[in-house]
Amino acid sequence: MAANTDRRRINAPSGGTSAPVFAKTVLESGYLQSLRPNRTRGPNELRKTFLQTGIVPSASGSAYLEVPTASSSQSTLIPPTSSLKIAASIQGPKPLPRSAPFSPTLVLTTTVKFAPFATRHRRGYIRDSAERDLGVHLETALRGVIIGERWPKSGVEVVITILEGDEDAWWGDSGAEGGAGSGFGLLNVLAGCITVASAAIMDAGIDCVDMVAGGVAAVTGDGQKVLDPCPAEHQDLVAACAVGYLASRDEITEIWLKGDVGADPDELIEGATHAALGSVSVLREVLLENMEAKMNITKEGSKRKLEDVEMTG
Amino acid sequence: MAPNQPQQVTLSPAELSFLRSTLVQSPPIRFDHTKGPKDFRSMRAEYDVLPGANGSARIALEDGTEALVGVKAEVEKSQRRPSPDARGNTLSVAAGDAEMRDTDAENHGKGKGQNSWIETSVEIPGFRDDDPLPVFLASMLTESLLASGELKDRLYINSRFHWKLYIDILLLSPPLSYPLALLSMTTHLALLTSRLPALKSEKDEDPLFDDDWDAAVFLYPKNEGKSLFGAAEDKPPVIVLAMAVGPNIIFDPCMEELAVADAVLAVACANATSSSTRARIVSIRTIDPPSHLTPPGVPNSMNSATGGTVPASSADALTQRELLATSGVWTPPRGGMKRALISQVVKIVVEEGGVAEEVISALQAIELG
Repeated sequence: MAANTDRRRINAPSGGTSAPVFAKTVLESGYLQSLRPNRTRGPNELRKTFLQTGIVPSASGSAYLEVPTASSSQSTLIPPTSSLKIAASIQGPKPLPRSAPFSPTLVLTTTVKFAPFATRHRRGYIRDSAERDLGVHLETALRGVIIGERWPKSGVEVVITILEGDEDAWWGDSGAEGGAGSGFGLLNVLAGCITVASAAIMDAGIDCVDMVAGGVAAVTGDGQKVLDPCPAEHQDLVAACAVGYLASRDEITEIWLKGDVGADPDELIEGATHAALGSVSVLREVLLENMEAKMNITKEGSKRKLEDVEMTG
Repeated sequence: MAPNQPQQVTLSPAELSFLRSTLVQSPPIRFDHTKGPKDFRSMRAEYDVLPGANGSARIALEDGTEALVGVKAEVEKSQRRPSPDARGNTLSVAAGDAEMRDTDAENHGKGKGQNSWIETSVEIPGFRDDDPLPVFLASMLTESLLASGELKDRLYINSRFHWKLYIDILLLSPPLSYPLALLSMTTHLALLTSRLPALKSEKDEDPLFDDDWDAAVFLYPKNEGKSLFGAAEDKPPVIVLAMAVGPNIIFDPCMEELAVADAVLAVACANATSSSTRARIVSIRTIDPPSHLTPPGVPNSMNSATGGTVPASSADALTQRELLATSGVWTPPRGGMKRALISQVVKIVVEEGGVAEEVISALQAIELG
């Protein structure tokens, strides 16, 4: 798409750079493989999640999610595993511009953008097809949750910035460079986007039927089911599935399954909902925290007003 | 920036309510009442319509939607990577690879294909190529093609060259219904009939091809002669669209039916292999149904023109609206899809003699006769 290239800035070369090849990895045959990160958690164990709301004061709702790397630093330049850092902000609901045609429901716009430095390959400033695709997935996940008929003629924008995205494969794999990756990292990113957007919507106080939470499960080559897979830790993922799950209604608003699962994907989908339940518990805590903080602010606010009255009186 | 306006549904709440009530009956009465829940719309299909392409197909549905797909292949230089695997045979991967090349010429590209060797573009009239709909359709189609990994491995020529496959999908008519299933079937037919020139050079030589088109090999090989370990022949995946309305599942919905859907699921499936008799699922995605954008109906009890009383406050109006859920007045569906319903859809698609098998064999029959 030649028309889509960004001509207003001086961009880095589009090809990116190759990871350096060190003499040791060539001379000692097993050395490179010995650096490969392994999954130290159990197959049903999720990574720790950090979630906070109210980080952007000017937005009506915002949230930040972080899933840190599991293992500590090593002696090589190859990062062991990737982590996930996502910020979400919500603008609205606000009236649609006069030029827009009438809409009987809330017009939801989702924008997902990787920061240029978010992945191993640099992303341009213009959204590419993977980012647009993620935006559509997120919109599907949220549209079923938001009660749109309560805001006719208004719009809400969900803007997601991915500061660090899960990689598709371990950096040490030579095939991981030229897009040979499985693309399973995107599923983790989507699940993170769903959870963080849900927290931001909650912060913005938009009416929803339930909290939607994201979760990922995958099947490895030997048929084992793992929850919350980190693609760098698994060399042989066959299929993976991300869901947007409504825990209290036991419904799925968004499902993105890819890879050869055979004839029966039920178990994989169930695994993903179990992973989503983990995010739900985090979301609940955050909701509670958020409510308490808001209650304190209103209490303090009223106290201050009382004091003011005392001062004047 | 103003949010771009999604496609509007042009049915009134009363019409939507009527449509939904017919579709949730058991058995459902569809918009075209002659069809059952698993019936597809009839279509006209032809292949090899474009002389300049490696493979092509055109499918026209009875409602006037028409899609044209051209598959073009180009030889491209592979990017050489400084990787330790290429230098010594000490690594197990490289050793196994060399062995494979010696023993089995048929398997020579196994595991070497790259996702970037297949490029899909979808062109829909009235949409820009970076609009969400074409992007979503293209990525779903690419994803299902890449899932099995066999197609991209077949594009491997030698360590320096590979085929690059361009799949260009054109919707010739405006999108009257959600075009995913139509585009997928047309792509399936085009890929099934695509041929690549036969390779004459050996190993790592510069590729040289047979100029006789009759000698060209099919991209998806037909096993008329010898077959590898008696495996069923590999065929491109096909995507079927299923929607849920209440307890019913309806396949290949038309636009009016989609407007009242509770949830829509796109299921990509490939044909059965030797290991399993049932079709395999390669990708599933939910699609946002247009029913979420429909206008809610106003009941007579809340409409002063029909003798009702207008609610006093907006809070009152909200409460009254929430009580309407079962009254038959149209309200846009909320929430998602029950898990049991998803597994039911999948079961109907993949079971023996199910929807997937039916569609794949029907498309195969077009090519044969």
